Amino acid sequence: MTYKYIVTGLDCPNCAKKLCALVEKIEGVESARLNFLSEEMTVESTLDAATLGKAVVQAGRDFSTKVTVVAK
Amino acid sequence: MKRKTVDATLLRLLVGAGLLVFGFAAGLAPLPWLSPVIFALGLLLTGYDVLWNALRGILRGQLLDETFLMSVAAIGAFCIGEYAEGMAVMLFYQVGEYFQARAVRRSRAAIRSLMDIAPDCGFVLRDGKPVEIPADQIAVGDTLLLRPGDRVPVDCTVKEGSATVNTAALTGESLPLDALPGTPLLAGFVIGDGTLWATADKPASASSAVRILELVQEATDRKSKQESFITSFARVYTPIVVGLAVCVAFLPPLVLWDASLLTDWIRRALMFLVVSCPCALVISVPLAFFGGIGAGAARGILFKGGYSFDRLSKAKVAVFDKTGTLTTGCLAVTEVLPREGTDRETLLRLAAGAEQFSTHPGARAICREMPDAPQPTQVKEVAGKGVVSRLDGCEVAVGNRRLMQELGAAVPPDADGIFVSRDGIYLGAIVLGDTLRPEAPASLAELKRLGVEKAVMLTGDRASAAEEVARALGIDEMEAELLPRDKYDSLERILAEGKPTLYVGDGINDAPVLARADVGVAMGGIGSDSAIEAADLVLMADSLSRLPTAIRIARKTLSISRINIILALGVKTLVMALSALGLLNFAGGMWVAVFADVGVALLAVLNSLRTLRSARRD
Repeated sequence: MTYKYIVTGLDCPNCAKKLCALVEKIEGVESARLNFLSEEMTVESTLDAATLGKAVVQAGRDFSTKVTVVAK
Repeated sequence: MKRKTVDATLLRLLVGAGLLVFGFAAGLAPLPWLSPVIFALGLLLTGYDVLWNALRGILRGQLLDETFLMSVAAIGAFCIGEYAEGMAVMLFYQVGEYFQARAVRRSRAAIRSLMDIAPDCGFVLRDGKPVEIPADQIAVGDTLLLRPGDRVPVDCTVKEGSATVNTAALTGESLPLDALPGTPLLAGFVIGDGTLWATADKPASASSAVRILELVQEATDRKSKQESFITSFARVYTPIVVGLAVCVAFLPPLVLWDASLLTDWIRRALMFLVVSCPCALVISVPLAFFGGIGAGAARGILFKGGYSFDRLSKAKVAVFDKTGTLTTGCLAVTEVLPREGTDRETLLRLAAGAEQFSTHPGARAICREMPDAPQPTQVKEVAGKGVVSRLDGCEVAVGNRRLMQELGAAVPPDADGIFVSRDGIYLGAIVLGDTLRPEAPASLAELKRLGVEKAVMLTGDRASAAEEVARALGIDEMEAELLPRDKYDSLERILAEGKPTLYVGDGINDAPVLARADVGVAMGGIGSDSAIEAADLVLMADSLSRLPTAIRIARKTLSISRINIILALGVKTLVMALSALGLLNFAGGMWVAVFADVGVALLAVLNSLRTLRSARRD
């Protein structure tokens, strides 16, 4: 399944890449892509929306206090 | 909500700056213990989030990110008793971050607003009355009312009325389009004078404007050489500088075996740490390319990714398809041959009048040539032959030889073209042909000025027609009567010469050639997915004049990002050299290092934003 999230508070494309790497470490996530321009993160995962959402939001929080993730 | 956080940050930084000044003042007063306490408070206030993020980074095993480096530098300075500098590092870093975040947000918004071209609402006829509804509620098949000044809310086709339409928002083309019944309109076009009734073809979510926005976003994911270089560079840069910092701190005191030197050398090493963050590069270089992609999109040029900038800016050979690229690819009247006793004007007027309601491309070409032709009172289309209309009380027929024979009009045996007769009497012929694009000569000259050494034309057309076009445009080499397969081979031969080659075509039947060229340019690419797929660059306007503009945007983008790389690396190397030599060992030397980091990052970001401005200049 494909899920989309809006990620705000990222200032550089490099940080976007690092956050994706973090999200990809979540068990059940196949891939994560974050478009810096649209602030949209696309996650391919076998998890259900609620479980994944919680994990992704937590990943954002772990990554930096400046970053917020919300489901689209 | 976002706004509030920003202002809270600003307030925090202002209080931090106040504490810094206060700390200095306290240092002057006879209370020696007070100023370190104030500086420590200031450090916690301005940098608690940085310290916190650094700590969590360490727990995650992610060392050497910028929060970690700044924390080490600030805490390190405290440890060697440089309280003011420790706090200043953090404060300046945060100020830089604050402005940088603002600049990034601004550029993001600017690119988005360039793309935000379709309106949110539109007027739809409900029971014959216009009702304003949100664009995403417009259903396929709804009748839209478009009045002067309106922006088209969804992709649609004109049903009734006529108007001039400004297509610049999507195509970057300043010449207006004449919209008549049957003309397709895209969301984002602006109606000039005239009112149109149009049928919605697609829901708002599927309009071309949305598709273009998606393509632009995808393009920002495809990196240029400079961007990839920076990413891999950043990966080695930080560890190397941190390694150097460790050496600088401990090697000299170890070698000289003098512990009293430690403070001095640690101070030098901390400056290394401050400049060891490659943020100036990892932020500004991709940002320049975002700007370039955004600027291109605003001018109707879609770069498929950062890599198309590299290749386009170097192009030396330009290969063109003829039909539809150098020529308009649509029929136009090239010759009017009235028989004796009739003049050109009369012949065209009658033909245009009779063909007024025909959608045949030949008929449209004749009507364009004579826009204010009389209205016919009766029209009969004769399939495969032409049209017979009543006009000014006469029966006017326009069509091929078979139609003329049926009506008993005597066509000379050697005549060619579309024939016109009135009341069964032959009046003359109109010859239609492909015409040069009006902008082609100027665009080709411009390309040569921009450094394209050779222009080549490949065409499947007859050699005689091709030669005429080549001569008119100053094409250096041409190959005619080619099959689609031959075009590919011809391009291979040109590529074998080893010069960066761009190929311009419409992408409909030359997708393999587009894909094979160093830079494939699809012209008039809106709505043609195969062309967008195969090309590196899509000119959304059906106009060659965008090509030199694209080259200019590409070069400007590359040069801006090159300046940023030189600026950032230059300043950082300089500061590292100076601090290692001990030349920054005066009070406030650390501030120079902080400037070299965040100041340069900020300058580079601002410089990158200049790419956006190429959107407004030609």
